[in-house]
Amino acid sequence: MEWTRQTLEDRIFEILRDDILSVDDGFDVESDLIAAGLESMAVTQLMLAIEESIGVWVDESLLTPENLASARALAACVHEQLDHR
Amino acid sequence: MSNSTIADRIPLTGADCMLRAFDWEVQRYHSSSHVSQLVLRLAPGLDVHRLREVIAQTAVDTPILRAAIRRRWKVGRPVYDMRGLRPEPPLRVHAGGAESAWDACPPAVFTAALNEKFHGTRGELLRFDLIRYDDGACDLAMSWLHMLLDGTGSELFVRALADVAAGSRELVGLDVGSDSDDADLSFRARGDRARQWQAFQRGLADHLPGSPGGPLRRVRQDLHYRVTTLSVEDTARIAAIAVQKAGFLTPVMYYMAAAVRAHHRMMVQRGAVPASYVIPLPVNTRRRGEEGAIFRTHVSMLWFQVLPRQVEDFDELLAELKRQRLEMIRGGLVESGACAIEFARYLPAGVFGRMVRRTFAGELCSFFFAFTGSFLGDAEEFLGVPIRNGFHVPAVPPSPGSCAAMSVFKGRLNLTHVYQKGAVSELEAESFAAAMREELG
Repeated sequence: MEWTRQTLEDRIFEILRDDILSVDDGFDVESDLIAAGLESMAVTQLMLAIEESIGVWVDESLLTPENLASARALAACVHEQLDHR
Repeated sequence: MSNSTIADRIPLTGADCMLRAFDWEVQRYHSSSHVSQLVLRLAPGLDVHRLREVIAQTAVDTPILRAAIRRRWKVGRPVYDMRGLRPEPPLRVHAGGAESAWDACPPAVFTAALNEKFHGTRGELLRFDLIRYDDGACDLAMSWLHMLLDGTGSELFVRALADVAAGSRELVGLDVGSDSDDADLSFRARGDRARQWQAFQRGLADHLPGSPGGPLRRVRQDLHYRVTTLSVEDTARIAAIAVQKAGFLTPVMYYMAAAVRAHHRMMVQRGAVPASYVIPLPVNTRRRGEEGAIFRTHVSMLWFQVLPRQVEDFDELLAELKRQRLEMIRGGLVESGACAIEFARYLPAGVFGRMVRRTFAGELCSFFFAFTGSFLGDAEEFLGVPIRNGFHVPAVPPSPGSCAAMSVFKGRLNLTHVYQKGAVSELEAESFAAAMREELG
């Protein structure tokens, strides 16, 4: 599958909303992931889900506060990593 | 869960029953109980009468604090029995004289409290000890039978007491949390997962672990501890290294690597290097949205194993621990471990511990480790009195006989080393504190 920035954003948002976090309807692609409960175990589960679903392992050095600021920011980071493959 | 919905009997979680197995072992072999402690060092001004009142009020409204742990006919799941409640948890006040050089040597009443017997079957679950110094400052220790509260729960409880005292929390009964029994899985599926965990555990036995305390033997529990508090500058510098080397959300692996190396140095010094080091790391299993669960323990374990040659270089050790963590999470070992722990509910009290010790030739693991991050959310006050410092003193049985626990309060890292006297000598404890300090960078 060809991943565009938009499809990546949609998929990562889905994973976060449905499988990783316990969030209400107010959660959107710009919501702060740490504030929404993304902790050490959840972020590892997220990385594994991204690998399984999108086929890319997000390098640990990329897991910065900036890249984990929102689903959108993380999608941009993953997109960049896909571009560099 | 509000008071109105608290049942007559609240079952212990699987993790509670695992801790009950350790408590059984400590009672039988070490004439004591499996007790944890939390310490607050307070500025002058604490109203002791008010504290006593708040504890009493909370105990009335939260009956689990006075419930006897029972198991009908010695089979079935053990429960907190809310009928025929026991007296409220005691608050014992001691005179401390002039403030001592506390950091190197905790007050004797606190170490005594850590080694006291708690009769869970008689509803003895929690005790408070308060030391008043001549200048009005106080040290408060809350000691409890570990199965009542995990580390997170103990902090939530202390904050709840403070909120009740401040009137910002209504007395409606504190949250006991849900059962953590994964009802989505069939009994068979849970059995499969538990067997996966057991197979993993047996694999660890290919390289038998060793601990400072050595295999289980009859000896009176005599736990002591040392607390090393680092400066704000040192803590910030170490935290930056931890994030850079171990990751923004997993600095815990850095602190764990330091603890492994400090223990290795102790064993090298003794000339008793084991075939491997096995270290269980507690993982919080509170369901998302249930972070407020105060009582009962909600944990699973990740079991790490490293060989002595993997400990020689810090960065290689850290890489190995990170690799193992990822593989365990990928392989579903957090869930498998939780399923295995759930079976402890149906086993006779001591069986879980005996099974692990049989696998490891009498050892349980090499040492206990915990890094709990920010302590009490950096709370400024307790009952209107400024908190000067605070930290955990986790429970550890005489075998393995050593536990390194770390948390950060107001930007200062507290390193608590709990050890069984005799399993770790005073000189070794001193060297261990120095080694930890060095390893952290």
